[in-house]
Amino acid sequence: MSELFLAIGFGLVVASVLALSAVGLSLQFGITNYINFAFGDFMAIGAYTSWTLNTGPLHVNIWVAMLIGGLLVGVMAVLLNRFLLAPFARRFQKLFYILIVTFGLSLVLLNLVSSIWGDEVQRYNISNQAPQHIGPFLFTVDQLVVIGIAIVAMLAIHFMLTRTRIGKSMRAMSDNSTLAMTSGINTGFITTLTWFLSGLLAGIGGTVLGITQASITPGSGETFLFVIFAAVIVGGVGSIYGAMVGAVIVGLATEVAALFIDPSYKLDIAFAILILALLFRPSGLFSRPGKA
Amino acid sequence: MSPLVYYLFTLAFFVFAYCILGWGLNLQFGHGGILNFAYIGFVAIGAYVTGALSLGKPSGGQSYIFGFSLPFPVGLILGGLAACVFALLVSVLTFRRLRTDYLAMVLISLSLVLYDFINNFVPLFGGADGLTNVPEPFADALGLDTNTFVPFFAGVSLLVALLMWWVMSRITNSPFGRTLRASRDDDEATAALGKNVFKFRLISMLIGSFYAGVGGGLIVEFAGAFNTSAWLPGETFLIFAAVIVGGVGNNKGMILGALIVPVLFTQLPKFIPDIPGHPGLILNIAAMAIGVLLMLVLWFRPQGVIPEKKRLSKLPPLSERHRSTGAISAQLTTEETL
Repeated sequence: MSELFLAIGFGLVVASVLALSAVGLSLQFGITNYINFAFGDFMAIGAYTSWTLNTGPLHVNIWVAMLIGGLLVGVMAVLLNRFLLAPFARRFQKLFYILIVTFGLSLVLLNLVSSIWGDEVQRYNISNQAPQHIGPFLFTVDQLVVIGIAIVAMLAIHFMLTRTRIGKSMRAMSDNSTLAMTSGINTGFITTLTWFLSGLLAGIGGTVLGITQASITPGSGETFLFVIFAAVIVGGVGSIYGAMVGAVIVGLATEVAALFIDPSYKLDIAFAILILALLFRPSGLFSRPGKA
Repeated sequence: MSPLVYYLFTLAFFVFAYCILGWGLNLQFGHGGILNFAYIGFVAIGAYVTGALSLGKPSGGQSYIFGFSLPFPVGLILGGLAACVFALLVSVLTFRRLRTDYLAMVLISLSLVLYDFINNFVPLFGGADGLTNVPEPFADALGLDTNTFVPFFAGVSLLVALLMWWVMSRITNSPFGRTLRASRDDDEATAALGKNVFKFRLISMLIGSFYAGVGGGLIVEFAGAFNTSAWLPGETFLIFAAVIVGGVGNNKGMILGALIVPVLFTQLPKFIPDIPGHPGLILNIAAMAIGVLLMLVLWFRPQGVIPEKKRLSKLPPLSERHRSTGAISAQLTTEETL
């Protein structure tokens, strides 16, 4: 029984990492209506930037480094959209052009990361902490902080989307961007802002992924991308709340399943969930009309 | 034989192999519009199955299934068919339900999972070590050594490639190919004309996967070994780049694409000595160059180096046949390109 609680506890940590990244991916998908296949590499760039800040001569505190890394990826995402993705999306009507461009971008960024930082496994400079009992669960302080960051971020996004003018504009654009434009919403600004938020969440997600997995490699973001896909598809592509729920389902399921099967097949569990979701509810739990 | 000639034959082999891989992906993506981001997975299945069927019983710490010591073309064909069967499974599960981008998401995930699974599950195909010492076809029967095997097998691959080119041009010029391209350009209009778009896409997926499997099988028989480092999911992009650079929906352009992308950008850089202190930097730069090249081609010449030809009807335009209904112009008999 105690093992089950341990697994659930770690599942919640994974779910937190997933929620941050899945919401980042979904926000951008809702506005631009195409999947960013380079999202995993955005995460890797965030993870390595904060690693350099954290372990380099500056010795920045890991959480501050995480935030700086996130902001940097946010700016990078805005620039990539402005000068690469947006022109392609405007020029070609067919969806697959832009998908191939993001796929190609992921190859470029992956190799950029490994030529700058090398292929060796890196770690953050964080002290080893004894796990603490919290009820039946066992968490390190860092894991609790990660869960806290995810909860705060999700609440912030919820309030932004429901209470602020910018958030409402985002929802309007994601429902019908032409109508939003004719209603006087500055769609260019909202798109830029969304890319920034998506990059910010990717950067933060990449760093917390590195913290919770206790390792960073150039490809870890790309491998994690498909766990994000599983969460996003289970929740319903483009739905922010769906991404949150999907993250919890996939995070818990993969960690609890690791009790019963060899943990090296954890990824396959996420894929099995993805397939089951496609078979029984292809539009996801929180599907929206027209998006499935 | 001088090392240069040996090396040129090796490059020639890769051109032929990548042509076959490219034609398969071109049928799926160029003609059918299916974004198969898992393509390299089908190549790997073909390679593993061909290798494991051609090898004898596992020995010396190796572990894999099969081990039937099958002779040359049999293992290769079965490898292609194995990729087909896998494609059937994947298509039936996903094609009906998903639009382009979701399908691409699922396929890229599939590619990663397949990679992870084969890497971890040692009894299947030797895990991360993969298959080694795959017998060189005909090497024993003809008494070939390492030096003579390379040009010989490059020749065999040329024959296989020519055969597969001929078959592929028959397929793409047939009514089947036309309907496939129509469904790529507008699937709803094609369905409205009574064509079963799902069936056409399924068949193109199966044939394309057979090509993937055969290409993979040739590679394993040429190299004698195959493991997970040979088919990282990013390799799919390489073949996509070859198809797009050569010309989407065009079989001849593929030959040029296979020359430019996989050979010039990945096989050649492997022979440039490493910059001291930066292992692998050259290959990283080459991979980035492919990504940039692809984006440049897409932006400046989206039709590729050799564009897909407008397939015009041999009949005189409708306007000349029925002067009274001249308004319906020859447009109806041309095919819209991308």
